[in-house]
Amino acid sequence: MAWPTSLGVIGATRYHQGVAWITVGCCVAACVPSGLRWLRVAQREHYLPGSVSRFAARWWRLTPVNLILAVAALAAAGASVGWPIAGVVVAAVVAVGPIGLSLRGRTSSLAWTRRLRVLAAVWAALEVVLVIIGVALGLAAPLAMLAAVVVPMAVDLACAITSPLERRLSEHFVREATERLRRVDPTVVAVTGSYGKTSTKGHIAHLVRPARTVVATPASFNNRAGLARAVNEHLADGTEVFVAEMGTYGPGEIAELCRWCPPDVAVITAIGPVHLERFGSEDRIADAKSEIMERADDVVLVVDDARLAVLAKRAAADGKRVVRCSASDRTADVCVVRSAEGSQLSAFVHGALLVADVAVPPGVQPTNVACAIAVALVLKVDATAIGERLADLPPVDHRLQEMVSETGVTIVDDTYNANPAGAAAALGVLADLVDVPRSAVVTPGMVELGTRQFEENRAFAAAAAAVASDLVIVGRTNRRALEAGAASVGASGAAVTLVPDRDRAVEWVRRHLDPGDAVLYENDLPDHYP
Amino acid sequence: MPDVAVIFGGPSPEHDVSVLTGLQAARGLTSEPAGSSTTIRALFWSKTGDWYEVDPALEAEAFFEGIPRGATRLQFVAAPGGGFSDPGGRLGRARAIEFDAALVCCHGGPGEDGTLQAALDLAGIRYSGPTVAGAALGMDKLAFGSLVAGAGLPTLPRVLLAPDAEPPSFGGPYIVKPRFGGSSIGIDVVEDFSTAVDRLGANPHLRHGAVIEPFRPDLSDLQMGVRTWPALEFSAVERPIRASDSAHILDYRDKYVAGEGMAGANRELPARIPSELEKALRQTAARIALLAGARGVARIDFLSDGQEFVVNEINTVPGSLARYLWVAPTVPFATLLADLLAEAQQRPTHAYTAAGADGSVLHSAGSIAGKLG
Repeated sequence: MAWPTSLGVIGATRYHQGVAWITVGCCVAACVPSGLRWLRVAQREHYLPGSVSRFAARWWRLTPVNLILAVAALAAAGASVGWPIAGVVVAAVVAVGPIGLSLRGRTSSLAWTRRLRVLAAVWAALEVVLVIIGVALGLAAPLAMLAAVVVPMAVDLACAITSPLERRLSEHFVREATERLRRVDPTVVAVTGSYGKTSTKGHIAHLVRPARTVVATPASFNNRAGLARAVNEHLADGTEVFVAEMGTYGPGEIAELCRWCPPDVAVITAIGPVHLERFGSEDRIADAKSEIMERADDVVLVVDDARLAVLAKRAAADGKRVVRCSASDRTADVCVVRSAEGSQLSAFVHGALLVADVAVPPGVQPTNVACAIAVALVLKVDATAIGERLADLPPVDHRLQEMVSETGVTIVDDTYNANPAGAAAALGVLADLVDVPRSAVVTPGMVELGTRQFEENRAFAAAAAAVASDLVIVGRTNRRALEAGAASVGASGAAVTLVPDRDRAVEWVRRHLDPGDAVLYENDLPDHYP
Repeated sequence: MPDVAVIFGGPSPEHDVSVLTGLQAARGLTSEPAGSSTTIRALFWSKTGDWYEVDPALEAEAFFEGIPRGATRLQFVAAPGGGFSDPGGRLGRARAIEFDAALVCCHGGPGEDGTLQAALDLAGIRYSGPTVAGAALGMDKLAFGSLVAGAGLPTLPRVLLAPDAEPPSFGGPYIVKPRFGGSSIGIDVVEDFSTAVDRLGANPHLRHGAVIEPFRPDLSDLQMGVRTWPALEFSAVERPIRASDSAHILDYRDKYVAGEGMAGANRELPARIPSELEKALRQTAARIALLAGARGVARIDFLSDGQEFVVNEINTVPGSLARYLWVAPTVPFATLLADLLAEAQQRPTHAYTAAGADGSVLHSAGSIAGKLG
């Protein structure tokens, strides 16, 4: 053991000892801003162990300046063997980097919830233990450097350590929710799907509201803790219908939700490559979603997807009442199709026309409306009343919302959309706008698409470049894929502009688009994405 | 000023508006100079009926998703010596939430129909606004309409709508309203009686009773505030403006969704009406305040064609506590709140008595079994 900078090693000079303590102090100090940064990412990523390290890899790799800093830090760590003061460089890089990932956050600042405080305490304890081990082994400086470098991994480890504890704590809320559900005894309509959950939930509440008292879960309350909270805080005593959104990050999660919040009516809106990196394949996503049907007597499925058509057969064989929904097949139980022009819909029930050419907001998807009609019919809402309510279907926030800015630019806001099918539909809306001299697509691309992420973004950019005159690529997360897609169209396609973040993109739109021009904002990523 | 607890929210369709009224009142109380020496507490009643103490300086957005962050769950005991307490106080010992008077800011549902008032009475808590009886009467459109008609005051005929009811003596079109309920939620305009009966099954708000009266599109709303402390006083008359001429009735969205609750709605204030009409409205409001046992600040709604008028309903805990109505005479919000609290403390809502129950009946009674035999 001849680490020259380490403490307590026989022969180490006072100078060496001093430098070692400076390194230890700097590294420990650097852990504070770094910890805050990665704790925020953990919070944004629902405290899923592993997610922080994945984001750290993305950040350090994707921007040249961060890549240079990372290499410099590693070099300095190596150099510190012979040149102790280099350890300070490591601390400096950890304290300020990665450049671009802010401490406070623009879209979502760190919220000191009880859960985050516990996580922060566990993380800090892990770091302290590492430093103490270093001191005990006489390797204080190198282990302090290690502690600073592994902050993202330490946060992930803390997430893993606290997750059983969090589960125990949430048990109490789940018990309370179970008891409340039993007492209020509403008809539970559970909605899942890779996309369209929130819209469908809104449509169901809108169609059923005049006939029954309805409570729908707030937008993001779709996991175990969120659903329990929605029940405990929103399910008032007189509620007759409870529309619950159920999300899933992995197999078994929806089945667990259904154990204490058993659905009477189950709805699956769509299967798509969302959270693909956690599931592996779309078939496994379909399997996970199908858990929602197990306890329900009535099942509503969009059979345009072959996998959901298979589930429909299976549910029927199990003796469930199945309502098959479609956006193309008029012989389906409920079929909603787009009319020839624009955003009008026509609906058919068992092949018979329910309503023809109803104007709906542009972001409204036919399959989601079909599911909502199906649920309303299952809940015995009068068919004519359903038809009447369809005429004033409210727009879905940030889903293809069209507006005109103060400067006269038409804005198509599709920032809440994160799936390839929806993105293609948004391009269709942009293409349908008439008399637009110049049109731009502003996008950071789509994420969580696993191995398909590059290809899906490339294809989207190619389609966008063919439709729009400008493509503004936000951030670095999908920059290469989007650039490749735009390039594949060639010189006839859109001009490409690269901007680091959304604020810069909005600035670009203000400066370059004139009254009469149009812009599509497609997806928005929170600022913990590079 | 006394120590105050502002009570708002509650399991009601008007929960959200009540949150706005409560936060406005809490802000009004804390911004007062005299407020520095007194404690203002905010007691939030959740949609599911649970009680929480929250920071009185919160903004509406803290309630977007339900219970605000940092809220403390409370227990409420409706018995002498009860009231509100935090069961998980310091070192696990319950901490009583103490105050001199409660400012009730609950609209609709159990906060405005006498349920909350009864519970506060049983807990021995002094509170502002209607008594149990006044609240229950104000929330029952059929009882209130009958009271007004019985007193010989002008009103539209209003009768119970039931599945097997005979058609009323008056013709359509009709307006169908929930019998119990504070705002215009659940109100329907129908052309004929059979459609009205059909609505009974379809409209969930009518499930606990409904009333029917003639729909008179020629009449428009006129509203007046009444307050009862230190003396009976009337506000200017307001004419609320509907969102569109085609709108049948002043609906819930017109009133509340604009953003600030009632205080943010469109209106003509004071309404340009003949002075004789205003005088007549005032005289009628005085009769109603007495008949309906008004306490605190109430809003009385009339319908008028500009000359004649009818009484429509009374709101015993009006949105924003009707603070915006007090332009002539001018009553600052702080004064309005201070008077509500003074009345809460000095004019008790009830006086239970057990006088006469001196045990003589029990003495002379035989065995219970003997009575049953």
